[in-house]
Amino acid sequence: MVMKKSWGEKSFQIFNYTFLSIFAATMILPLIQLLAVSFSSPIAAESKKVFLFPVEFTLGTWKHILQNEVLWRSFGVTIFITVVGTFLSMLFTVLTAFPLSRREFLLKKPIMIAIVITMIFNAPMIPYFLTVRELGLMDSIWALIIPGLISTFNMIIVRTFFMGIPNDLDDAAKIDGCNDLRLLFQIYLPLSKPVLATIGLFYAVGYWNSFQAAVLFLRDQTLWPLQMRLRGFFLSPEALAEVNLVTGDYDFNTITLKAATIIFATVPIVLVYPYLQKYFVKGAVLGSLKE
Amino acid sequence: MDHSPVKQQSVSELPLNAELLIQKKSLIRIYLENMKKHWMLYVMIIPGILYYIIFKYVPLLGSVIAFQDYQIFKGIFESPWVWFENFKYIFSYQDFYQVLRNTIMIAFYQLIFGFPAPIILALLFNEVRLMFFKRTVQSLFYLPHFLSWVVVGGIVFELLAAEGVINAIRGLFGAAPILFMQEESYFRTIVVVSGIWKSVGWGTIIYLAAITAINPSLYEAAVIDGANRWKQIRYITLPLLFPTILVLFLLNIGNFLELGFDQIFNLLTPMTYSVGDIIETYVYRAGVLQGQFSVTTAIGLFQSVVGFILLWIFNRLARKSGQGLW
Repeated sequence: MVMKKSWGEKSFQIFNYTFLSIFAATMILPLIQLLAVSFSSPIAAESKKVFLFPVEFTLGTWKHILQNEVLWRSFGVTIFITVVGTFLSMLFTVLTAFPLSRREFLLKKPIMIAIVITMIFNAPMIPYFLTVRELGLMDSIWALIIPGLISTFNMIIVRTFFMGIPNDLDDAAKIDGCNDLRLLFQIYLPLSKPVLATIGLFYAVGYWNSFQAAVLFLRDQTLWPLQMRLRGFFLSPEALAEVNLVTGDYDFNTITLKAATIIFATVPIVLVYPYLQKYFVKGAVLGSLKE
Repeated sequence: MDHSPVKQQSVSELPLNAELLIQKKSLIRIYLENMKKHWMLYVMIIPGILYYIIFKYVPLLGSVIAFQDYQIFKGIFESPWVWFENFKYIFSYQDFYQVLRNTIMIAFYQLIFGFPAPIILALLFNEVRLMFFKRTVQSLFYLPHFLSWVVVGGIVFELLAAEGVINAIRGLFGAAPILFMQEESYFRTIVVVSGIWKSVGWGTIIYLAAITAINPSLYEAAVIDGANRWKQIRYITLPLLFPTILVLFLLNIGNFLELGFDQIFNLLTPMTYSVGDIIETYVYRAGVLQGQFSVTTAIGLFQSVVGFILLWIFNRLARKSGQGLW
């Protein structure tokens, strides 16, 4: 397009680039600032001197954090629910989405309607809580996985993708005597790698960040996942310090410890994020097509 | 099927309900044959169906305890029915009105400020011509979507703490530090701003996809007619974006009162209950922690019904302008 830029358009462009740059910077600067605080001395942190670079650099906070057994245990719980939960969720999602994408599956429509109804009518919190409790899942690690096994949003993404796979493939497969299960696992799934990556990542991030399930279903602190532990530390930083900060002279304090735990719980996501971004974006668009 | 023409004729002479019976019979046969041929599909979906029954429909039906005086040891079948007593109770209860007011106010602010934010941002993204800049900025904007509310809550508390960055900047201008998180007057603003901060970038994706789908020749024609960028947005982009905006608005309005437990729970302190305690956090405290199951279920049911009524009303309005969800 040939454009003669008017003065107004030029100034709009300047405004736009500036505004987006500043706003985008606020997305990452808080994390950088906390990172800087976590490597700063307690005195510097308290005197508001730390912005984007550590002041009076020290590793004391991190040494202390990384020796915290409670934190590592929660890390282990989170790793477990992320790995096992993501696998089970994907299995359940695919097994549900496949029949619902087949024209020859006669119950497709009624089941689909029944599922969409659950998106419109969300069950209130208390009956949901009581149901999980009746199932004996209270204070079990499975309470963090099973009640949220299938996300309807993700299921619809997969179903939409399956429906877009050309039909002539299954005709060929059927002539070879392929049954529906093999059709799914040997033909459809290999073709669906991008969408599986997308929903796998959605589930993994969901499990990594899962919080409400732990609030509702876990009284037993030993099973607390990372996010729950993080909140516990925010509420009582003394538990994190494990030592009496007032009487002793330490190279960390509650400010630097809090900053470090936030970074600790965020780093895995920030690290994988650049690689995963394109899948996420695809999935978000895919999911919006069929609502 | 083995219907000979003669037989079919005799069928049409049978009384109406007998005809239906035969139709029904053959329908059952069709189903049975289909099940036999594709039994694997039927087996495959069993785990999914069980999941939806147990974790979606059972709790939905379990909402009947809103009409009972539910006692945990008696269970749903033995607990006495009190019908609308719980609803009468909550509507005569002062705290409920405070919680309801907080929920509606925050929901309203989020709708006014939070809903248009990604639309505006998508339009701004769309004006960026430097591809490298666009991609970098977008990546940064999507990032907070992947952080949990515990982390974002932690960040907000740290930034706004007495020794946090915001107060440090205020300090440079000689202003006294403010304890933002403990003061009632800032709470709702913090909720709305942090909500926008976390989700605005992610929210643009759908709008950007819709903008990409617009035929470029429309813009070319507009340029020839002398339309500047602003006019192109006003008369081409926005009208063509409208169906997407409408659908997302309807999906939003159905959850109008569901603000998201995680966000409020992680920003709330007892000092800000009076302005920030919402239905979900209240139900958690009174229901899960204190065991007032029936009353809090009544509140939850009220919330769902309000959401559904809003969705229904706005969907009717949307259908009048040509496009609804159903």
